[in-house]
Amino acid sequence: MDYKQNHIPADAEAVLPDADTRMGRFYRALLKRYPIWPVIQFFLGKKVPEHKHSAWYMLGGIALFFFVIQIITGILLMVYYKPGQPWQSVNRIVMEIPFGALIRSMHHWSANLMILTLFLHMFSTLFMKAYRAPREGTWITGFILLALVMLFGFSGYLLPWDDLSFFAVRIGVSEMEKVPVLGEFAAGLARGGPDVSMETIGRFYALHVVILPLLVLAFIGLHLLFIQIQGVSEPDSFAALPEDKKKYRNFFGDFMIGEVPVWLFMFGLLIALSAAMPRGLAAEANPMGAAPEGIKPEWYLLAPYQALKLFPGKLELVGMAMMGLAPLLVIALPFLDKEVPSGKRGITITRIAIGGLIGFLGMTIWGLLS
Amino acid sequence: MTESRIEKKGPPSDAPKNDKRRKFLLAAAGGIGVAWAGAAAYPVYKYLAPQPVPDPFGEEGKAVVDKITPADVANPGMGKNGGYASRGLIVLRNGEGELKAFDSKCTHAGCNVQFQGNVIHCNCHGGEYDLTGKNISGPPPKPLTELKVFVENGALYVSPMEPQQKG
Repeated sequence: MDYKQNHIPADAEAVLPDADTRMGRFYRALLKRYPIWPVIQFFLGKKVPEHKHSAWYMLGGIALFFFVIQIITGILLMVYYKPGQPWQSVNRIVMEIPFGALIRSMHHWSANLMILTLFLHMFSTLFMKAYRAPREGTWITGFILLALVMLFGFSGYLLPWDDLSFFAVRIGVSEMEKVPVLGEFAAGLARGGPDVSMETIGRFYALHVVILPLLVLAFIGLHLLFIQIQGVSEPDSFAALPEDKKKYRNFFGDFMIGEVPVWLFMFGLLIALSAAMPRGLAAEANPMGAAPEGIKPEWYLLAPYQALKLFPGKLELVGMAMMGLAPLLVIALPFLDKEVPSGKRGITITRIAIGGLIGFLGMTIWGLLS
Repeated sequence: MTESRIEKKGPPSDAPKNDKRRKFLLAAAGGIGVAWAGAAAYPVYKYLAPQPVPDPFGEEGKAVVDKITPADVANPGMGKNGGYASRGLIVLRNGEGELKAFDSKCTHAGCNVQFQGNVIHCNCHGGEYDLTGKNISGPPPKPLTELKVFVENGALYVSPMEPQQKG
């Protein structure tokens, strides 16, 4: 193939800088060698529907922003973290390394804000009914991402190896152990022994810094690819408008630029939270000591924690089975609610979802207060 | 449907004024961006900057020698590779019966050199030093760093050479 024969498409010519400028020559040289204009045109043509609920479309981008912060601060923490001396090395980051406490606190707060954003993102797409056909793939990859991110939180929790991380992970893995048939096997594999120990750190470290990042990146890629191919979902009220009443904004150069101030605000919030409420480091884990008083899971696990308390003794398995059902229902949602625009069934499902949200919030608050 | 921005080609009617404003706003946004990036990069740089290393000779001005005992260098012609403060060291007793010590980091590329009886040899690129630490063959550009060595309570210690004793 002779690259010199590839001419620049007319609509590219209309957008590119003039051919006699330096950048103009550079872009033309690139397009001659790599004729990707259709791809660029595809992205430039990406549109976001504009309506009164448009602001919710920003949540995915905000979650992605927090994920980028996690990658950067995570790499920085890896520079000094030593899985062989977990508590000592984290203590050194906090006490000795300049800005170490800030970077660690940012990693903590960004993780929490990312999970919060993902919850909001999930419920906003749920109530806009963006999960319906043909977008089942986006919904399911999104759900997998939420699960992976929670696993991220759980595995990262152990790494400082303080009292809190030790008992939190011991509780988490012993809940896992109670699952019939595979529970014990999986728990042993996760712990690398009969109890949480330094052996567990190596496993959780590999999970936290290699396996989960690769999985999350792959699923973010799929999630975004699906959205690029299918376009942003339109709520029923918007889709019902006559074509000339529908307003759209370009994603690149318009919607995304509008998101930059939001990202900057989130960054400011992150710094403020990290400075005002830095993440503490409790005493080094002591497998022989009593669990610290008032120990409670992170806020996003409070609801299942409180719910499990309602099923004492042998009934706990019933509670766990019911809680295992919830994620299955969430995955199945696009197959239970297909009708576009929504009919009676769709409205019922929205009501059930509102009930679920209220229940989740109620359980969380109850867990917080109890 | 709103018109896509990139499709708007060609300046509007009041172009010169707008062009000036556009340039100013772009420059201002760029300037703020650079300032922001600098502010974000500073803590990252401070975080990554090497931590100060404690003085290898400590407050007392001496460091205990590791893996070499006075018996190892009891007679003229004896010598051995060892270490001090996590660094490589060679201690030897020369023909005149004098104790000598050199930091074993080669002055060429930083490998640790080896005491080989009548010569100090670098296994990485074949550099050689004589028993006074002088570079005599191969790539090393200058002599090995010499250290003061002495026996105290049956153990060897090194301390930095005082400037007047050098050369």
